[in-house]
Amino acid sequence: MSTAARGRTPVIAGIGETRYAKWGGIAEVTEYQLAVEAVLAALDDAGIAVGDVDGLASFAEDRNAATFMAADLGIDELRYATMSWLPGGGGACAAVSNAATAVETGQADVVVVYRSLCQGQFRRFGRGPGNAPPPANAPRPPGIRRAKSLLEAHVAFTMPFGMFGPPIAYAMVTRRHMHRYGTTAEQMGAVAVTTRTHANRNPRAVMGDRPMTMDDYLASRPVSDPFRLFDCCLESDGACAVVVTTAERAADLDATAIEILAGAQGTLRGFGHGQYSNVSMPDDDYASAGARQVAARLWGRSGIGPADVDVAQIYDHFTGLVLMSLEDFGFCDKGDGGPFAASGALAWPDGALPMNTHGGSLSEAYIHGLNHVVEGVRQLRGQSTCQVAGAETCLVTSAAGVPTSALVLGRR
Amino acid sequence: MSAVGDRFFPDAMPSPAANAETAGWWEACAEHRLVVQRCIACGTTRHPPGPVCPSCRSLDWRWQELPGTGTVYTFTVVRQAFLPALADTVPYVVAAVEPDGAGGQRMVSNIVDIDPEDVEVRMAVEVVWEDMSPELALPRFRPRALGNGEGR
Repeated sequence: MSTAARGRTPVIAGIGETRYAKWGGIAEVTEYQLAVEAVLAALDDAGIAVGDVDGLASFAEDRNAATFMAADLGIDELRYATMSWLPGGGGACAAVSNAATAVETGQADVVVVYRSLCQGQFRRFGRGPGNAPPPANAPRPPGIRRAKSLLEAHVAFTMPFGMFGPPIAYAMVTRRHMHRYGTTAEQMGAVAVTTRTHANRNPRAVMGDRPMTMDDYLASRPVSDPFRLFDCCLESDGACAVVVTTAERAADLDATAIEILAGAQGTLRGFGHGQYSNVSMPDDDYASAGARQVAARLWGRSGIGPADVDVAQIYDHFTGLVLMSLEDFGFCDKGDGGPFAASGALAWPDGALPMNTHGGSLSEAYIHGLNHVVEGVRQLRGQSTCQVAGAETCLVTSAAGVPTSALVLGRR
Repeated sequence: MSAVGDRFFPDAMPSPAANAETAGWWEACAEHRLVVQRCIACGTTRHPPGPVCPSCRSLDWRWQELPGTGTVYTFTVVRQAFLPALADTVPYVVAAVEPDGAGGQRMVSNIVDIDPEDVEVRMAVEVVWEDMSPELALPRFRPRALGNGEGR
């Protein structure tokens, strides 16, 4: 389907970020105010008045509801509001895709996508869902509770066995990948060290002033084998936002509009909520990002392939899953993600596929990957602190190991 | 694990929550029966349990009892105490086990009675029950010696 022919080509016209900090580091304002600040910053960057916004979109069970946001911003009429069903960081690119669909089909003209996380004010994602210890006076010995949600009933099959949330679940996935393909710690370390090096050039990065060598990586404390501390992403406070509108609307603006060439979202048969609540999917899918169908649709829609990508922002909650995403999106053969990373391919400026040029979730900030979309826009505007010369196409992916989404961004 | 007596985990661990589709699995556990949900119409197994067969969409299902043997599909040695109460329990092993007879479905559990450093993918295991209360028992797995004629 030609979007241009209909005159409503979706573009990202503005980006906005608050400061990023270690979890608990932003206590002076609420998570909600932080979301508002990011939205206003993105609109200011785009040169679009708040009064022109008619859509809001988010993901990851964002607490900062669009309805309140619309009222507090004084939006005249909220015509479009969506929350992606994709869990956690799986939905960042989907939220942008949803916004793109809205402007493309005329449901809205200006949709702001936002994500705000103050994990010190609420819970830390890395500690897993629903695992708060019972109160000290809880009846003992333990019995069976009534599940309040499908997710709670599903994680009952993992939590009582000490599989608390993402680091443990994805360590098991990575162990299987190592078993099948011979993936090594040093190959995972290449992801951690390379992206840290990128973050060291980025003044916004939480780990911007903390260099890391391979020896530092290997010496970091074990969390859940094979994951060390530096295999795991940061947990952060901060917010960011992007403004999605039509190319026609953006033509009058000062900021360079970045085209959303394609978006795709979805999940594999039987993949459920991902490997942290379901370990019964086929072997090829278990030891994977779960993104191969999303990747196939994305490349089909965008009209480009992995060889045409100038720079990539790959969701990096865990190093091992980065390797699997590189495989699923076709940058190397299945099982070859480790050797591909260890070859230096991901390093700016000389690698074949400079990746996470902002430092990613491992070293810039963990804003559920919406900051990866922001960095993609920055690259195509020529404004990254690790700028890939002449970059015209950027792949952005959302969380591996859950139902997920991805975007191809392009410079017009 | 001296701090928690005979328990593998301390009482501060989250207790399981169940709904109408999953409660039967936990009730079987209380009776020391390891079961998997099986479609009556087409025989497909599924885990975690749900209301409908993903293969033939039948709503009719039953619990099938399993022999309690299986193999380790993958595992991790957890070395960080994600709850303060686990400080004396780490390191412990969380594994995905493929129970024999479950049609390829896997279950998350712990590997016990072995040094965590010695656990391997494809290791043969068997269920061992830990009674948590009259209404709750948890299936954990320990290494199983292979008898004559048994192979991997």
